[in-house]
Amino acid sequence: MICLLQLKQHANDPAVLCCRAEAGITIEPANLEDPAIFDELVDSGLLNLDGCLKIGQVLGAKLTKTSDSLSPLTADNMEGYKDSVEEEAPAEEAPVEEYPAAAPVAVAAPVAAAATVAGGVLKIHIGEGKDIDLSIPVGALGGGAEVVEVAPAATAAAPAAAPTAEEVAKEGKVIRSLTRQHYAITEVKRGPETKIEGTVLTIREGIEQEVIDADALIKDFHIEIITPAQYHTYSETIMDVQPIATKDGDSKLGQGITRVIDGAVMVLSGTDEGGVQIGEFGSSEGYLDENIMWGRPGCPEKGEILIKGNIVVQAKTNMERRGPMTAHTVFDIVTQEIREALKKVEDDLIVDTETFEQVRHPGQKKVVIVKEIMGQGAMHDNFILPVEPVGVLGSRANVDLGNLPVCVSPLEVLDGCIHAITCIGPASKEMSRHYWREPLVLGALHDPEIDLCGVIFVGSPQINAEKFYVSERLGQTVEMMDVDGAFITTEGFGNNHIDFASHHEQIGMRGIPVVGLSFCANQGALVVGNKYMTAMVDNNKSEGGIENEILANNTLCPEEAVRALAMLKARMAGEEVKPAEKKWNPNVKSNNVEAIEEATGTKMELVENEQALPLSQKRIDKGYN
Amino acid sequence: MEKVQLLLRQHVGAPCAPCVAVGDKVKKGTLIATPTGLGANIFSSVYGEVSEILEDRIIIKADAEQPDEFVPIDVPEDASKLDMIKAAGIVGMGGAGFPTGIKLNIDLSTTEMAELREDINPELPKDFKLEHSYILINNSECEPGLAHNIAQTVAETDKVVRGVKYCMEITKADKAIFAIKKKNKEAVLALMDALKDEPDITLHLLPDIYPMGEERAVVRECLGVNLDTTQLPSAARSVVLNLETVAKIAEAIEEKKPCITKNVTVRGNIKGGSDAHVFMNVPVGISVGELIEMAGGLDKEDSVGEIIMGGAFTGRAAELDEPTTKTTGAILTTYRMPDLTGKKVGLLVCACGGNEGRMRVIAEKMHGEVVSVCRCKQAIENKPGAPLKCLRPGNCPGQVKNNMQFKKDGCEYIIIGNCSDCSNTVMASAPQMGLKVFHQTDHVMRAVGHAQYRQLTVSKWVNQDINVAD
Repeated sequence: MICLLQLKQHANDPAVLCCRAEAGITIEPANLEDPAIFDELVDSGLLNLDGCLKIGQVLGAKLTKTSDSLSPLTADNMEGYKDSVEEEAPAEEAPVEEYPAAAPVAVAAPVAAAATVAGGVLKIHIGEGKDIDLSIPVGALGGGAEVVEVAPAATAAAPAAAPTAEEVAKEGKVIRSLTRQHYAITEVKRGPETKIEGTVLTIREGIEQEVIDADALIKDFHIEIITPAQYHTYSETIMDVQPIATKDGDSKLGQGITRVIDGAVMVLSGTDEGGVQIGEFGSSEGYLDENIMWGRPGCPEKGEILIKGNIVVQAKTNMERRGPMTAHTVFDIVTQEIREALKKVEDDLIVDTETFEQVRHPGQKKVVIVKEIMGQGAMHDNFILPVEPVGVLGSRANVDLGNLPVCVSPLEVLDGCIHAITCIGPASKEMSRHYWREPLVLGALHDPEIDLCGVIFVGSPQINAEKFYVSERLGQTVEMMDVDGAFITTEGFGNNHIDFASHHEQIGMRGIPVVGLSFCANQGALVVGNKYMTAMVDNNKSEGGIENEILANNTLCPEEAVRALAMLKARMAGEEVKPAEKKWNPNVKSNNVEAIEEATGTKMELVENEQALPLSQKRIDKGYN
Repeated sequence: MEKVQLLLRQHVGAPCAPCVAVGDKVKKGTLIATPTGLGANIFSSVYGEVSEILEDRIIIKADAEQPDEFVPIDVPEDASKLDMIKAAGIVGMGGAGFPTGIKLNIDLSTTEMAELREDINPELPKDFKLEHSYILINNSECEPGLAHNIAQTVAETDKVVRGVKYCMEITKADKAIFAIKKKNKEAVLALMDALKDEPDITLHLLPDIYPMGEERAVVRECLGVNLDTTQLPSAARSVVLNLETVAKIAEAIEEKKPCITKNVTVRGNIKGGSDAHVFMNVPVGISVGELIEMAGGLDKEDSVGEIIMGGAFTGRAAELDEPTTKTTGAILTTYRMPDLTGKKVGLLVCACGGNEGRMRVIAEKMHGEVVSVCRCKQAIENKPGAPLKCLRPGNCPGQVKNNMQFKKDGCEYIIIGNCSDCSNTVMASAPQMGLKVFHQTDHVMRAVGHAQYRQLTVSKWVNQDINVAD
């Protein structure tokens, strides 16, 4: 028996009898089994869906043979069925959830939750349930999509109807702006003082000893300047990649002017005294050219000079809070000295100027981005809101803030408000540079069809009780924002997916459509799930769907941002996101990409993955390819 | 018979309060306890002397001589028919035990059709209304193996029809329908004969599947209306009464006879075979053991499984010295139950069979370790702790999800309490998944010589012409 209200959602699913039905009956929802369980039945050989008609085809049609439970309805036992499923919108335009949410861990509450979604569509999802008993006057649903917002709700499927960027920009309200002044560096060398002359950056010789002396935990430190010709150099695991940037004059982070170096980035690598890599689930040590997914938002670009500081912390402090934290803090001594030099550079050396405007679009659907960051301790922490972009001074550690939600402006994100001590899994962790170039924040900020109100960072504590404490605060925070939709992103996988799921629930239960972004695929398969996790974008780009220890390989890229934006717009417009297949299937992503390309008429260039890199011995040894 | 034990609570509602004292001489029909709230009068069912009054019962030592005469109910000359029913202490004899005088205190002619739930009534127009109002007689003898309702239909056809007409008069119902299984041809023909000059009273023939006697199933079968689990038959302008209750109503009105006897089927592990022993007008309050002895006694005493009071689906295990009540319809004795030797068992609890407690008792007696309990998704608990009610009695909602859960929970066996249709569904996937299925009624069905509840092979629809075979 399937619920009447689920019918629309299931119109394209196979029609299978839930119980014995006698020849001559007219097929009603009560005769049909819930399609949610079919994958498992097919897997176990209990069900064969060959030739099975769709639910939308058979309702109202006549059964010609008495058939038992779990009999598929086919041309052989049905008559008077429809040739195809009538739909309001073509199937291919509906985005498909890219990763199936795991079965809920807890027994579902004995009620189905009804969520009123903006746009006048009532969506009822019944996950695991008992005594499900819905009674809703159908008349209340028959009115079609009522537009709640005054302004037309644009959807990905109908870009032509959307107001043009110019029109919206006219209405848009500029809150503040941030200008990046770029200074090119073509050579980095050592010398008696740290300075920038023309396009040459000199780093003071002997600064290493100051770094070592700064804290007793630091046992060794040295700087390597790695030019593109030297990318085939061995490195310990890469802890972080950071832009070199400083605030100009009295500008505060997230507004005014930021000076930033082009052509060189800071890279922190390290081990403990015993040679143990400062990483948890995997580490990226090895030849740089083989272990970095160049060009990812968080990674160096090919051609950039890496100012790599390799740090050695006291034995066994690699997995204590003080080890990674101190490493990041002392490494900033070097960066800060470069920042001071950058502040002195004359304006005539500016090679490029970029201005980001934080524009609100009051007529559009209001959207918030929730970024879950790690806060379990050790390297799973973040310094939030330093004085300088990706600095340390003035910041508060996420763990010290109790992992509670912190609201920031999109420009603060792009101006380095997160100094990432980074997370498990080289391939999925979001390093400091990632936030500097965060694709979803950029995509949402520049999308005139939505009204991005801000970004919330929320930590992922170690203990479950704390996770839910934090998650409930997030729900309350989002509730007050009166948003029409929310993105939730996370880095890493496993432990933090508990929070990730809970955030979906907390926001989803308030009737707000949610789209989640995370690495899932095979290895990061969600360990928990709930009924609100129906729209997911998978950050995976690896061929095998795994954490392959290639730096930032599976982090959020523009192609994820585009899909997530399309999905959230569809959800906010009341469209359904089709459930994903039970097992990870990369084709779902390609189909969604194709659908978006078709709808927008633009070609999406997808990023490369590890297959574009020289094959490392580690990948061969670990069988990653 | 040395004594009868009359429980103070033989009905839905509060226990009655005794109105006799130890040592009082009583006759058949002497009022011995009266309601303290919702309830019905209780009378002595024998001639004798009150020997003990306990918290929950009155024990009467029976005289050796038991004349047929009884003390008529004490009502004024001008008492209404409804007052006589109330005074006679009649309750739903089918097992529910709801005081009949209260149930019939309704004017069906002015009762409005309630709003129906659309999802369970897909074939009815939104504003569907029943033109008539109905007395529906549950003559389905729903529980397998029972025979006393049908025996009474044949033996006392006219009395039953008169009882129905009194009910129509009291409730102002303009129609009445007997719901009876088509397999009971003799009873059907007897009713047809008795009703040939009664245009407002008709028959509705039922298929032989379980359940058909569930109150809302009777409404659905006769009127085509699906009530939800919180709706009473009055929502479909009806009152549903058990066949035996209707006969008792006729006796109360015509003979001023109090409710002191019960018709009972005794069957199962009994000397002489598994045929039904039907006892009419057994004094209320005699023991289970006496009834078994009346039937011939237990056959193989060393291999007795359970002694069940009530039907195989909805009854419970009873002791030999327990008294019967106004609602005891059957005593079923079984052979030993299979031994699962501590294997892991899942219970599929539904509204049509035993509750979880009863299912656990059965699992324990079978030495199974209960590791998983699922509920049929149509089994609805209207209020926390209230008995489960089936949303669509006898029409399965699908069971494979439960089987998947049992499999996940590591069950090797499952014990189910489902109706014919749901049991059939369970069987469509459980064996393929490696789950061995027992039905809670298996040991009873074996003892009464009835097929076990597994696959369903008969149709849910029968031709309404008794002379047309299906």
